[in-house]
Amino acid sequence: MLILACGLCAALGYLAIASIWPQKNSTLSALLIRLSLTPAFGLGIFSAIFWLMPLRGDAHVVAVDASLLGVLGFAYAVRRSHATKENTHPLSSRAKMNCPDSPGNSSQSRDLAFASHSLNQSFSSDGPDINAPEWIARVLMACFGMALIAALYQATVRVIAHPHGEGWDAFAIWNLHARFLFLGGAHWRGGFNSMIPWSHPDYPLLLPAAIAHLWSYLGHDDPLAPAMVGLIFTFSALALLVSSLAWLRGRNVAMLGGLALSSTPFFVEQGTSQYADVPLSFFILATFVLLHMARSQNHNNQNLAAMMLSGTAASFAAWTKNEGLLFLSALLVAQVWAAISSSRQQDSSSELAGKWRPFAYFVLGAAPLLCLIAWFKHTIAVRGDLLSSPSIMIQKILTPTRYWIILQWFAKELVRFGNWWIIPGTMAMLAFSLLSLRRRKPDSSPLLHLSILTLILTLAGYFAIYLITPRDLYWHLRFSLNRLFLQLWPSAIFLFFLFVGRQAFAEISNGAIAPKRETVKKFTRSP
Amino acid sequence: MLAAPDQQAVTNKTKAGILLFIFCCLLSTTRLVFEAPKPAHIQRDDISTRSDQRFAALKANLPANGVVGYIGEIGDSATPDYYLTQYALAPLVVDLSPNHSIVVGNFPFAPPAQIPQNLRLVKDFGKGVMLLSSKEAN
Repeated sequence: MLILACGLCAALGYLAIASIWPQKNSTLSALLIRLSLTPAFGLGIFSAIFWLMPLRGDAHVVAVDASLLGVLGFAYAVRRSHATKENTHPLSSRAKMNCPDSPGNSSQSRDLAFASHSLNQSFSSDGPDINAPEWIARVLMACFGMALIAALYQATVRVIAHPHGEGWDAFAIWNLHARFLFLGGAHWRGGFNSMIPWSHPDYPLLLPAAIAHLWSYLGHDDPLAPAMVGLIFTFSALALLVSSLAWLRGRNVAMLGGLALSSTPFFVEQGTSQYADVPLSFFILATFVLLHMARSQNHNNQNLAAMMLSGTAASFAAWTKNEGLLFLSALLVAQVWAAISSSRQQDSSSELAGKWRPFAYFVLGAAPLLCLIAWFKHTIAVRGDLLSSPSIMIQKILTPTRYWIILQWFAKELVRFGNWWIIPGTMAMLAFSLLSLRRRKPDSSPLLHLSILTLILTLAGYFAIYLITPRDLYWHLRFSLNRLFLQLWPSAIFLFFLFVGRQAFAEISNGAIAPKRETVKKFTRSP
Repeated sequence: MLAAPDQQAVTNKTKAGILLFIFCCLLSTTRLVFEAPKPAHIQRDDISTRSDQRFAALKANLPANGVVGYIGEIGDSATPDYYLTQYALAPLVVDLSPNHSIVVGNFPFAPPAQIPQNLRLVKDFGKGVMLLSSKEAN
């Protein structure tokens, strides 16, 4: 039954992604990105279904899943047929406008030439964009393979040793909430009251509701389900990081990114501990990846579809943990700021609308889950435990020593984060960037700036929470700061290698960077 | 094509950066392998025995939902014991208070020297698990 549940979950995830974002002739990396997103999106949908089940009366969860699968399958078929039409008909016209004249200049030969270029694009996105020495590529591949096997080994052994998760939060919060949802029946709300504040009844329910949904198939609360969910999120995050970097920067940079994440002991430990920090880190990473994918798409519809999915990923983050809500708010602020900044430079109203359209699609993608979260926060969740009375909070805000303590802890954690052995990961990345970066004007991609601004705003939010926390500050920092950093760690690696990777490998090629993708994009751009 | 000398130097620096980074990652990977529990000596944690198994018999004697009280030992394990009781008895809510008509007693290490005056023992399930009720509620 668990296999059936997992299959349905994956199918729902895939169809939801593919019906919003259909891609034909996609590369291996693009396909891997989609497959990496699939299980987590499926679990997100599973959680929403389970949460909405009381509204469906006595309907069995399997019937609801099957119905939704049918609806998404239909939507996917419709979208796919539209995409096929879009891809088939404009081919000749695009080829006519952009293809260099070929002998005979017939429509057929132009189409063939276009198809050949498309194929080339397809491969160029997978392989490195640069002429990196082959031995470096091999060493990177081998080392990533070793690190991946080590991470898989560590994760498997830990799951066997700790089937109920490791640490209190697994059974005192996440799996407890899942039990309330699954075993509580009509009385499930009883578990989310202020009588047991230590279980954080205000925490969002993506993880508990998804686990409860899986248990519905099994018929009992088997610890295998949460353990498997933990493994899925851990290795999906790794797969998403590698495939997205492969798509955006080439295979060698992807191997470096994958090596960095799979070699982070704390990431693997937490991934199997059945806490919600790694799932949250996955959705934050997915949001950034889809934002960058949106920019890399040639086709406007593809761009907007990726933006919409990015919004959905951000809302899944908000449905996973309260910190996800903070992240979503930070991203919205950063996007509004970026849109306003660029709007000032636009003259025509159509250009102005073009700047705001992606943001509108992002919000559209996030809206359904945000409504769900608002409903949960309004009707079910009790008040969080991080806010005290205004006078006490103001007093804490006006205490300079608190700022100094938090700053010190942030700095210390930045250096020692991840439980790396001997040389911390952040230091290794700093050394790598110092040795690799060229002395030239840094990459001024507005999207990269927006992403970094979002991370900074999120960190500022974490800082503010520590500032006003009613708990003992040292205790709070000691038991949560490393996990807050972990939530942003895969995204930090992604953005780091997005920025550094381009410059580092640009040097190895001795200026022989083959601007394949840019060339082909220009070649295939819609008129 | 031969690269200019300065360009070649930069290239070597980058290669050195990559190799250094790989070395750091592999060091950490070594830690992952060596600090993982050894497959031959895996000791599964005792969460299940401390919660679900211990409270299985008691759970069968409790209502399916609602709120029950709780009394337990004092000491370092008091909080985890209480959390594990709640985990085992969910969807019942276990309130850390003896002021309820039904109260769960959890004394895994030693039986209580004295039961609170307002409570009476209904049944001892063994292994330190007890069902108590309020004298007032009768």
